[in-house]
Amino acid sequence: MDEPLLEIKDLSVSLKKRNTISVAVDCLSLNLYPSEILGLVGESGAGKSMTGSAILGLIESPLYISAGTITLHGQSIVEAPEHIRGSKISMIFQDPLVSLNPLKTIGEQLVKTIKTHFNISKAEALERGKRLLSDVGIDPERIDAYPHTFSGGMRQRVVIALALAPDPDLIIADEPTTALDVSVQAQILNLLKRLCIERGTSIILITHDMGVISETTDRVAVLYSGRLVEIGETSDVLQHPKHPYTAGLVASTPNIDPHSFHKKLFQIPGTMPDINDVPNGCAFHPRCEHASNICQTQKPPLFNARASCWLLETPGETL
Amino acid sequence: MERFFRSDFFYHFCHAPVAIVSFITIILIILSAIFANLIAPTNPFDPSSLNLMNGFTPPLETNEFTGESFLLGTDDQGRDLFSTILYGLRISLFVGLMAVFLAMVMGVLLGLIAGFLGGWIDSIIMRFADIQMTFPSILVAMLIYGVARGILPPEVRYEMSIVVLIISIGLSEWVPFARTVRGSTLVEKEKEYVTAAKMIGLNRQQIMVRHILPNVLSPVLVIATITFALAIIAEATLSFLGVGVPTTKPSLGTLIRIGQDFLFSGEWWILLFPAITLLALALSINLFGDWLRDTLNPKLK
Amino acid sequence: MSFINVDQLTRLFDLSEPWIVRAITGQKKRILTAVDCVNFQIEKGETYALVGESGSGKSTIAKMVAGILVPTSGSVIIDSKDFNDAKLDKTSMNALRRKTQMVFQSPYASLNPRWKIGSIINEPIKAFGLIENENSQHIRVIELLEQVGLSERDIGKYPHEFSGGQRQRISIARALASEPEIIICDEPTSSLDVSVQAQVLNLLKDLQKNFSLTYLFISHDLAVISTMANNIGVLKEGVLVEEATPKDLFCKPQHDYTKMLLAAVPNLQNN
Repeated sequence: MDEPLLEIKDLSVSLKKRNTISVAVDCLSLNLYPSEILGLVGESGAGKSMTGSAILGLIESPLYISAGTITLHGQSIVEAPEHIRGSKISMIFQDPLVSLNPLKTIGEQLVKTIKTHFNISKAEALERGKRLLSDVGIDPERIDAYPHTFSGGMRQRVVIALALAPDPDLIIADEPTTALDVSVQAQILNLLKRLCIERGTSIILITHDMGVISETTDRVAVLYSGRLVEIGETSDVLQHPKHPYTAGLVASTPNIDPHSFHKKLFQIPGTMPDINDVPNGCAFHPRCEHASNICQTQKPPLFNARASCWLLETPGETL
Repeated sequence: MERFFRSDFFYHFCHAPVAIVSFITIILIILSAIFANLIAPTNPFDPSSLNLMNGFTPPLETNEFTGESFLLGTDDQGRDLFSTILYGLRISLFVGLMAVFLAMVMGVLLGLIAGFLGGWIDSIIMRFADIQMTFPSILVAMLIYGVARGILPPEVRYEMSIVVLIISIGLSEWVPFARTVRGSTLVEKEKEYVTAAKMIGLNRQQIMVRHILPNVLSPVLVIATITFALAIIAEATLSFLGVGVPTTKPSLGTLIRIGQDFLFSGEWWILLFPAITLLALALSINLFGDWLRDTLNPKLK
Repeated sequence: MSFINVDQLTRLFDLSEPWIVRAITGQKKRILTAVDCVNFQIEKGETYALVGESGSGKSTIAKMVAGILVPTSGSVIIDSKDFNDAKLDKTSMNALRRKTQMVFQSPYASLNPRWKIGSIINEPIKAFGLIENENSQHIRVIELLEQVGLSERDIGKYPHEFSGGQRQRISIARALASEPEIIICDEPTSSLDVSVQAQVLNLLKDLQKNFSLTYLFISHDLAVISTMANNIGVLKEGVLVEEATPKDLFCKPQHDYTKMLLAAVPNLQNN
């Protein structure tokens, strides 16, 4: 494999409130390779957005990075986030209105972003802005329109064009389609996939939706309670999950399947623990039907570079 | 109670020196007003205890005629200023408290009705509020005060003057309550728990009182605190202008007015001490109110 | 006659500016047809699902069936009674309200944050005068809590002490409190996590079996609907474009819009 574009090593993000410190992201290690779409999936509070913020250097008090390194092209971005964030990493949020200034035309916003990163004339920047718009499937003639004249899906396209403006190596998309209708969601996901192939941009796709992960990503990392529980090729992870949580997550996702009409869904008992109250050992053990003594006392390491579960300690043992 | 001491609210309070100092000041002032008869050396409202010979005694100096000395000096009628301030505080706090209560009840009720019912009722209430807001509230209070004095028969005017004062200040301060409550009501009434209440056939009064009212009250506490300071100042202003409480039962404002008459003849203490008390009280309440607002509802800023 | 009959149901919304603004600017009235002549029937004990994207009018239909929004024309007849029938007396109206309850989308906004769980669930019991004795009310509330997988301990807690999934259970317990026959589920799981969604959907299924409930299930998620519905109606801009059983709809979709929707659903098995 190539050199990784982004390397996250033993990243921990902690929360300090009053006199208690709780860990929101716990010793997370990930590699991201060029022109790859990596999915970060987990339920709310699993730490997936927090990981995205850490990469962007957006962690603010009372949160802080308590351990670990994040390197892009071998350079640490924990120490110099400002400079790298703008030109190498872009962000797409769930709500397109967060990223768009309602008082400026999309052209003005594009030109401003382009001119911040490249030393070119206004006319050239405008030209480049129009090209970006047509890249994301918006008629370049609409460059002088205001954000509110676009529909939700079109706005998200504008946001993607803005994210592409600095020509970044990495785009972090945090639930980019959660606020959109299914038909629009499919278009946006296809657009992201196409851009990844055409421009060689890597994408970290943060989502709670297993279907989106399955359709879009090359590899997937499953987070639970701030910890990485499983990572691997998307099809492999979804079809042959090695961690009981991944297996439960896949099984409990409703799917259109003529054999499952009216059937009850598989359900994982209980809920994810609060970050102030994470159980000892494997965080998933109280909900796990395979839990044994060791699960209650010792945190499982990542076995076979795949899953953090003591079941994998014995070779040949599978779910 | 134990839950209160462990709450975030209490934690923030312990870490805000301004809040602690202003809170202690308010409590001290309120306590000394309540126990004025125990703390004060004389009763200034009792004419028989007054000795005109004691008039204009400077603070801590011995009166040359009677040989008595007073902590903060005396006023023109020989009333001990320290005692008069304590008893005056009682009137100022009482008027302020009752006026805020009146403004609060009226504002919350009208705001709730306007927000929940909407339509022409909302328009009438809120346009009326808009019109009232274009006048300074002290002007509105003076207007109401004047009208009330005109209506009341002369023989009850004197006893009723404090009640009239409370009503006029109360009626002049209801608008901020109504506006805030109306705003929160508009948000709350769209929430699904209100729909759930409709689905079990509750009527509008029941939904307003049982479901919406408890959810729109938290900003009211903050506004009440700030309005309390405004009401005390309004009372002082009215008394200063001579339309408030009678001079025989002076409030802080009345004392300041009396003091102002003698300021340029060298009897500075008659003005200064009541003014400092009023300042300390109003400032503490305002600072505490600001802190309360920031802590309870940062969105109100 | 079916248990629930929705007949030519239409709802318009007036989105125009106030008349004075219109008079000055010369604008015309703007009328939005949110629901346009919708017909469907639901049999007792079955689940009818309405699926559609945002703005398709599915929540508007839900409100009209629930009797909290008056249709512009057409009618909803539940067990041969109509909420908007002027001749309906107070007793029948109350009976109809008791019969029809709702579970909402937002687990946060659907419970009054100032009320304890016990009072929230007890409110319908008191409002409909189902049980007079306070002790028996208490026992009934505990029974309801246990039916949705919570316990007696939760009775004195406030909504903010619960997770989203648990709140949705409380919402379901409140809906069950009046012993209804119909529950309208308006996107009941769309703000829940996948593993919790499965728990709530399974709970709804169990309750349907135990109490022979009739569901009107509103969702934008075809995958969720495929596991819940006996019949599905596809809504597009207020019009019911297709109606079929899950088997027919997912295997042999007729309308182009349905085909497009199905193609757009992300599927786990595609990979």
